Amino acid sequence: MQLSEALKVIKEGPFAGRPPLRVLVACGFHPLHLQTFLHAHLQGRVLRRVVPSVGLYGDLLGTLRQLPTRDLDLCAVAIEWPDLDPRLGFRQLGWDGRQLGDVVKTVESALGALREILARAPEYTPLALSLPTLPLPPLLPAPSQRASETELCLRRSVDEFALWSAGRPGIRVVHPEYLARVSPPAERFDFKSELLAGLPYTLAHADALASVMADLLVPPAAKKGLITDLDDTLWKGLAGEVGAQGLCWDLAGHAQVHGLYQQLLRGLAEQGVLIGIASKNDAGVVEEVFQREDILLPRQSVFPVEVHWGPKSGSVTSILKAWNIGAESVVFVDDSAMELAEVKASHPDVECVLFPASDYAGAQALLYRLRDLFAKESVSEEDRLRLESLRAGDAFRRDAAAAGDSFESFMRDAQGELTLDCASAGANPRSLDLVNKTNQFNLNGTRFTTEEWHTALRCPGAFAMTAAYRDKYGPLGVIAVVKGRTRNGEVTVDTWVMSCRAFGRRIEHQCLRSLFDQFGAEEIRLNFMPTLRNQYLKDFLAGFQRAELSGPLRVSRAAFEEKCPPLYHRVEISHD
Amino acid sequence: MTETSRRLAQCFALVFPGLSEPEVYSASVNSVASWDSTAAIMLANVIEEEFKVQIDYELLPEMVSFELILDYLTSKANGSS
Repeated sequence: MQLSEALKVIKEGPFAGRPPLRVLVACGFHPLHLQTFLHAHLQGRVLRRVVPSVGLYGDLLGTLRQLPTRDLDLCAVAIEWPDLDPRLGFRQLGWDGRQLGDVVKTVESALGALREILARAPEYTPLALSLPTLPLPPLLPAPSQRASETELCLRRSVDEFALWSAGRPGIRVVHPEYLARVSPPAERFDFKSELLAGLPYTLAHADALASVMADLLVPPAAKKGLITDLDDTLWKGLAGEVGAQGLCWDLAGHAQVHGLYQQLLRGLAEQGVLIGIASKNDAGVVEEVFQREDILLPRQSVFPVEVHWGPKSGSVTSILKAWNIGAESVVFVDDSAMELAEVKASHPDVECVLFPASDYAGAQALLYRLRDLFAKESVSEEDRLRLESLRAGDAFRRDAAAAGDSFESFMRDAQGELTLDCASAGANPRSLDLVNKTNQFNLNGTRFTTEEWHTALRCPGAFAMTAAYRDKYGPLGVIAVVKGRTRNGEVTVDTWVMSCRAFGRRIEHQCLRSLFDQFGAEEIRLNFMPTLRNQYLKDFLAGFQRAELSGPLRVSRAAFEEKCPPLYHRVEISHD
Repeated sequence: MTETSRRLAQCFALVFPGLSEPEVYSASVNSVASWDSTAAIMLANVIEEEFKVQIDYELLPEMVSFELILDYLTSKANGSS
């Protein structure tokens, strides 16, 4: 991004209707360009007005000491060598080779002070941390080609600080190797600008670092599912021509990239990414391949498998339906540009990616790209359960459809168990995760930053509840979140989301009944707002009132009980 | 109005978004309250990007109006500085 583009992006705001995003840019140098680029990159990502603030020039520690008392949504910290010891900069005269031992001690001491300060930083405020990106001055006696003991000591101290920081909740450390890819070290330092204006970064480096920090502070939504082709993609060769034993995915067959791809998909499946197959192929041969002992992507990690001779766009349609997720959350990988184009024409929101089997550099880039598209900070229990719960949901829906007139006995026999957690719901990271990614059953579409979520839960009378579900078909994990408040006996629900995997089990009814029971309420106010995608919830709520539903509504216990179908779940509730 | 003048006005509009078009062409340190040393650097960098030139930072204290900056750019384009 050029500086003029950044200024244009900033100028395009403000964005009405949402509170501004408050961001602190903490650095010891003049923050001008880093702040401008970060402002623009964040505003482009969150589509909210961004209000950046900075501390006193040259006083990084002083700025960071204010963290616990400032109302912030995000914080970006860029540390350079002079922040750890001014003698490691170019703006202070007085280099003295005899002081190197003292410089090492001063750097360690400054990093110790930073640890103490960051340990007290609010853990719900995401903080992006960049450690020295610019060269050390030619203060050390060793030639530039040689890594001297002193320099390695300095770098070890910084690495130890980075390790400590990466383990702190809320702190996200900029990866130096990634930064080097997008901002080559030799092109980062603007010597003239540093000396004349106190701006050490070239514009390109300020832009690159700001972009990386914005990614860390507001990560792009991770994709949820990957649909892969088989021949010359998951393996080398055409299954229908060479048979199951003729295919290869190893070094001996010059097919290692396919083995690495299988391995990557297995890893993604283990972290909860849905893997499906869309292949024009002989289904029998494909099943034979998955029986081979050396296959790296196990058959049970894949669901569903669409293998036939019809168009792949049709396979993708079936898979999206089985997964019940939006096309924008899905990546389709195929070695044929024509097949990619055919799928793209029917599903424009699916990200279509070419598998470059004969282009090694392209294949290497693909592996990293796929990892990044599905990257997540941690793998939750729900992630591990996702495939199992999808299969369970599929079996549930099949049996429910087959039950026909005996649907009530089917529901009764499903042995549904609902666990409502009112004790730790707010602190459970799954709650915010679900709130921020659910669309179809979402009361009003409101998304929260971590800080906003916890601030809302600290309000007087605030409550939160999660619902976890399982039945005889298997567990679904935590699938619903309710957040609201009580005041003078009135119960208001501000946030209510439920995973689409849980639809059709009357869990929404059970949640609402539980709220009536827990609070002894005769009426509940639901802050509903229609969105482009919450028709399912709108239809559910419309059943409790006669008027057209276009905004917040009140549901009385009497109206609810009159319309509520029989509920067969066994319910367990945990309270504070 | 020359092409250089029009492009320079765009740079001013980005750095000083509150200025109307006539105000841009008569802008100076004295007439624009937000024209401080930080804004001067921002303006210089935006001009460098737009005109693909290197501005001598030591001349910044002298570049205190739209007109003077336009003169500077025109003389640069003509090969003198």
